[in-house]
Parts: sequence; structure tokens; C-alpha cells
Amino acid sequence: MSVEVDRLAVPFAGVKISSDALHKLSALFTLFMLVGFFSFGNAAFLSVGNGLTVLLQTSVIGLLGIGMTLVIVTGGIDLSVGSVLALSGTVAGLAVKAGIPVPLGMAMGIAVGALCGAVNGIVVTKMRITPFVATLGMMLIARGTALQITGAAPISQLGEAFGKLGNGSLFRMIGMGSNGLPKVIFPGIPYPAILLVVVAVAVGFMLRRRSIGRHIYATGSNEEAARLSGVEVDRTKLAAYVMSGALAGLAGIVLMSRLVTAQPNEGVMYELDAIAAAVIGGASLMGGVGTVSGTMIGAFIIGVLRNGLNMAGVSAFIQQIIIGFVVIMAVYVDQLRSRR
Amino acid sequence: MNAHVTRSRPLVEMINIQKSFGGVHAVEDVSIDLFPGEVVGVLGHNGAGKSCLMRILSGAMAPNAGTIRMGDEDVRFLSPQDARRQGVETIYQTLALADHLDAPSNLFLGRELKTRWGNLDDKNMMEEARRVLHRLNPNFKNLSDPISRLSGGQRQVIAIARAIYFKVKILIMDEPTAALGPAETAMVADLIRQLRSEGIGIFLISHDMHDVFDLCDRIVVMNRGRNVGGYCIEEVTKDDVLSLIIKGEMPDGWWPRNAAKTPQPGLSSN
Repeated sequence: MSVEVDRLAVPFAGVKISSDALHKLSALFTLFMLVGFFSFGNAAFLSVGNGLTVLLQTSVIGLLGIGMTLVIVTGGIDLSVGSVLALSGTVAGLAVKAGIPVPLGMAMGIAVGALCGAVNGIVVTKMRITPFVATLGMMLIARGTALQITGAAPISQLGEAFGKLGNGSLFRMIGMGSNGLPKVIFPGIPYPAILLVVVAVAVGFMLRRRSIGRHIYATGSNEEAARLSGVEVDRTKLAAYVMSGALAGLAGIVLMSRLVTAQPNEGVMYELDAIAAAVIGGASLMGGVGTVSGTMIGAFIIGVLRNGLNMAGVSAFIQQIIIGFVVIMAVYVDQLRSRR
Repeated sequence: MNAHVTRSRPLVEMINIQKSFGGVHAVEDVSIDLFPGEVVGVLGHNGAGKSCLMRILSGAMAPNAGTIRMGDEDVRFLSPQDARRQGVETIYQTLALADHLDAPSNLFLGRELKTRWGNLDDKNMMEEARRVLHRLNPNFKNLSDPISRLSGGQRQVIAIARAIYFKVKILIMDEPTAALGPAETAMVADLIRQLRSEGIGIFLISHDMHDVFDLCDRIVVMNRGRNVGGYCIEEVTKDDVLSLIIKGEMPDGWWPRNAAKTPQPGLSSN
């Protein structure tokens, strides 16, 4: 049925809906189903506090997923984001530990991420190595470097300022309780969530309204055609990998800031969550298809699933199994779509 | 037409072009030229080197040796953009379209219209696309659909529109009618005649002898990477051309059919 629906662009409530939009709608529907299901099971799931927790937890996967979407749309894949996240976070941690001001240290972390992305891009475009292998190599290199420079030990006592980005929030309201102790009226919007929204809007704008975005789609859709049309295919791919690396760096400092500790072991297998988020959101691993909004939905599906299963007391092992099934189903749907 | 051709200077001269891949000579010492308002058929077997030669002119491939002269200047095309900047447009046999994008995005791919802020001007591109596509095919619909949903004819129209929308001086058409039905083929033939009357020079790669004799002023035949003959279309018969294509030479005892006709410029055979 999906194939049929896909081809025809079914009229739905009088409006014509494209297959991409249909995929996104079904993903959104899945998300609401999950939220409904979990809140039915546990009333605390729908509380403001838990909502913000989900937002916070999803922000890291969301940032990685946005970068991953850019790369996947060009027809590539970036397996290195989990390791780059760790490397960027530890570099930022080491820098702050060495006395460099926090904003500068964090900027260094992001720069290291972008550098890893640039290496990925150069290996893919200049050495003509497939993205899978190129970024698999970077995955090992970045992880190894993170472990080496920290001696495989977490860097703690980074100071309050380092934790601000991950733990602070906007519009936090604290009143005085009747017992004379401070009471949190509204916990505020966490900075990571704000960051995620800003990045999502910016990258979404870039994909839709800037020529680099159009070139990213064209490259993934038909690389040779794009090249013959005058698109600088190599530069476009390089840009996608650099942005993916930089966003992995950003996700790294957000995560390490939240922990107020730079952990070289953080982010193992996060690349798979990021890929899953993109694919669930409708990105095609064949390239040429994918949106930031879709990936956001995908990231929240994973975030809600994790959070809801946690609250329901499902073990971490069972969670892995369930998310594994979700990923396979999502890729299966993707294949049904591209099998025309 | 002939008078017009004899008076003008060539739009482009490709001189002693050479291209080899490893030990294989794809194009060997080929010279070819094109005049304004002229359709030159580039003929030959698959692998005879005609597509390779045209890819060199379109900037998709760099020659090992030889010069390309446009007007008084020698030009070097390092990329398709370089060639397009000089007014050389190509319609590839594969059409070179991005299936996931809509018609306007494909039409303007690589030279998007932008707003003052450097953002994509999709509204303007849609308007322009509608205008140029409707000129080629008044029934063109679904401009905002990904072009993977469109018919072969509609896709061909987009590829043609992309080539002629921008200031084109030299148009390379690689098998433009191979995938088309009769009505659409007639549309392309009319378009070729119209472009010719506007003074545009056209290289037409085709296997269809009917098209060749119908549309071309001149033919150049390639065989095993060499230019084995250039002739005015009036001088030759279908059998002559087939002999050139297959054997690389004219039938025994061949003599131009209309030998009395004044020879045209640019007829060079190596």
C-alpha cells in the first residue's frame, strides 16, 4: 500500500500531499501515538518537568541528526559524529582546564569538530573513498585521540561556567515558597533546547532558501547531473561534512557542559541514533531526500521512546532492542518509497 | 542561408583535438568547426569519439592536446561553467537532471536566481520557468512536482529549456529525440530550425538518418577517434554516410552528388 500511496500523491482532505509530506505526517502521527501511549501509562510523563527533560535529552541527538541529514542528503553518511562529539567535548574540557576562558574553549571544541568534518570531506571528495569507510576511519581516529589526550580519564571540576550551557535555562522563575525556601515556579527553557531550535531553523533555512542547500539536494539526487549543471559537487559535499562535524562538536560541548565533565567515552553509538533520527524523519540513504523538520520529528520519536521506556521501568537492554526494531522499520519504509 | 554562412566567421574552431584514456585514443587529432546559423551533424558508431569530442567542447572533459578557438581567442574550458560562460550549452543524452528537484530548480541549477539578500528567488524562478517551458510546450503542467514524476517528453523539454534560456551561441544536442514520441520529435525539429534561424550554431549528435538529412546543413563523421570526413548534406546520400560511419571511408568511386555547388567553408577532413 505504501508504494501505491507513494506514487499517486493521494488527495487528502482536498489537499494534494506529496510522498515526502506523507512520510513526515506518518512520523508525526507516530510521535503523538507514543506520547499518548506513555502518558496513558504514567501521568508524570506529560508534566512540564518531564517535557523539558525530553527536550534536553533530545537536543544532543537533534544536533547530530541535523548534521547527519545534510550529509545523508548529499548521498553520504557520517559515522564519525559520536566520536567527534567526544573529541570536541574533551578538547573544550582540556582547554578550560588549562585556563582558557569557557567561551573560547568551547569555540575550540566546535572548531575541532569542524576540522574532523573537513578531513572527512577531503577524504571523500579528493581521495574518492566511500563515505562509509572514510567516516568509519574518522570514528576510530577521533575516539582514539579523545582517549589519548585525556589518558582515558574523565576531566572533572571544570567550574560552574562550563556547566552553564548544558544546565542553564531561559525564563527560569524562582519564587519564595511559604516555608521560606526558594521554589521553582517555572524551570525555564533549557539552553540546549533553544540552541537546537536556532540551529534547526538556520539549517532548515539554508536547505530551502540558499543555493548551497539546493546544491546539496542536487548532488545527492544526481551527482553527475549536478556537476554538468555547474554545481561544484566536491565543495558542496565538503561543506556538508564540515557542518556535520561542527554540529557534532556543538553537541559535544552541550553534552559535556551538562555533565560538567569532559568524558572521552561519551557518545558511543550516537551516530546510529542520529542516522535513525534522519531516516525516521524521511531522509533517504540513497540521497536527494530529507528535511530538518523530518529529522527533528525523528529525533523526538527516539527521545520520547527512550524517556517513556525509562519511566515505564523498561531496562536499557530492552530499550536497545526496541529502538533497533524502529530503525529497521524506518529503513524498510524508506526502501518502499524509493522502490518505484 | 548559404550566403549567410559563407560571409560569417566560425563560432568555434576545435583544432587538432586529442584525448586518450590510458592507451586508448578516444579522439585523435580531430579538427571541426561551426558557423552561426548552422546545424552540423556529428555522426559515428558508439565509441567513435563523437560524444567525447562534444564533452570536450562542453567543458565536461579536458583534452590532452589541441586548441578551441572562439572568435579571435583561444579558450580553455576547465569546467562546464567555463563553457556556459562562453555561450556553449549542452543537452546531454542522459538529460543530466536531478530527479528529486522540481522543474524550475532543474532549469536554474548551478545559476539560481537570487534575491537582494542572496536567498533563492523561487517565485521568480517559477515564473521564468513557466514562461520558457510553456513556449516549448503549452501543455506543460506540474511545475512544482519532482521531475521524476514527469514523462520523458516533459523531462526533455526541461533539458532543452535549460540550454536555451541562457544566452546560447553554440548548442550541443546529444540524441535529443532518442527518447521521444513523434509529436515531441517534431517539436524538437521545429525548435532546431528556429534556433538556427536565430543564428545559433548547433552540433547535433544523432543516429537517426532521417533527422540528420532533415535538419543538418553539414555532417562530420567520426570513426575510431578520427574525423573521416566532413560534407555538405547535399553532397551525400544515406548510403555514403553509412559507409563512412561503418568503414570510415566513402564507397569506391564516390563523387559528390552536387559537385557544382560552391564549396562551403570549414569543410576539413583529415
